[in-house]
Amino acid sequence: MAQALTVLSGRYIDWGVISISVTNAVIILVMVVVFVLALVVPFPHDRGDTTEPGRRR
Amino acid sequence: MSSRQDAVDGNWTVALRTRVEGLVPEGQALPDRQPVYVASWIYVFGVLTIASFVVVLASGVVLTVGGSLWWHQSTLGHFVNSMHLWSVELFFATMVIHLWGKFWMAAWRGNRGVTWMTGVVAFVASIGAAFTGYLSESDFTSQWIAAEGKDGINAIGVGAFFNVLNPAQMLLWHVVLLPLVVGMLVVWHVILVRRHGVVPPLDADEPQPSRVGEVR
Repeated sequence: MAQALTVLSGRYIDWGVISISVTNAVIILVMVVVFVLALVVPFPHDRGDTTEPGRRR
Repeated sequence: MSSRQDAVDGNWTVALRTRVEGLVPEGQALPDRQPVYVASWIYVFGVLTIASFVVVLASGVVLTVGGSLWWHQSTLGHFVNSMHLWSVELFFATMVIHLWGKFWMAAWRGNRGVTWMTGVVAFVASIGAAFTGYLSESDFTSQWIAAEGKDGINAIGVGAFFNVLNPAQMLLWHVVLLPLVVGMLVVWHVILVRRHGVVPPLDADEPQPSRVGEVR
């Protein structure tokens, strides 16, 4: 019973006052990875695009 | 001034039409061209949040047909409930990435303070909508969350108006009041974005009105 309850309660990362479930930590990590990818992965363009890269300062 | 002109000036329909027509600059309601810096993946997370929100609302409407116990008794109900849950997960994930992007872009620049604040309040209202959703699961989890939450809610002095131990009240807040608030804030937020244009990156020039819409 105690073992079953331990499994149900999930695994937690405890670091000082911070206590976070491994699942939530992984989700936040994946969100950070998606955020970084959104910044660095080139955005696709249509062939008819008239993009003007000189617009940035 | 003619009596006809007086009648038009005092006409509520004309006043409302003028107001609606002036909400966003001409051609900016659903633009098909944007400044060059918008060609970046970081700019898609706002619209991904709206797309997730549409699925949240649609699956929520289907759930209202079956009722709050439906997902316990029916595999179809369970499927729709899961769609509702996972669209909420995507809604929050994409909204938070949108928030990170706009925060590091200082998106309140260029007279966009109200745009920023409507987004912040929509985020807070969404947390309330999610909280009341967890309280409406009609299972031991919702009972546990209600029992744990009541002291915190009472501590801030709103327990008399927002009773987390009252499932009927929480369900109505979840399916009517909070979706209405979040929906209206989202519409206001999008109108303001269309009105002022998407915020340029820190190293880019603010486009002049005549230069908006140069890139497809």
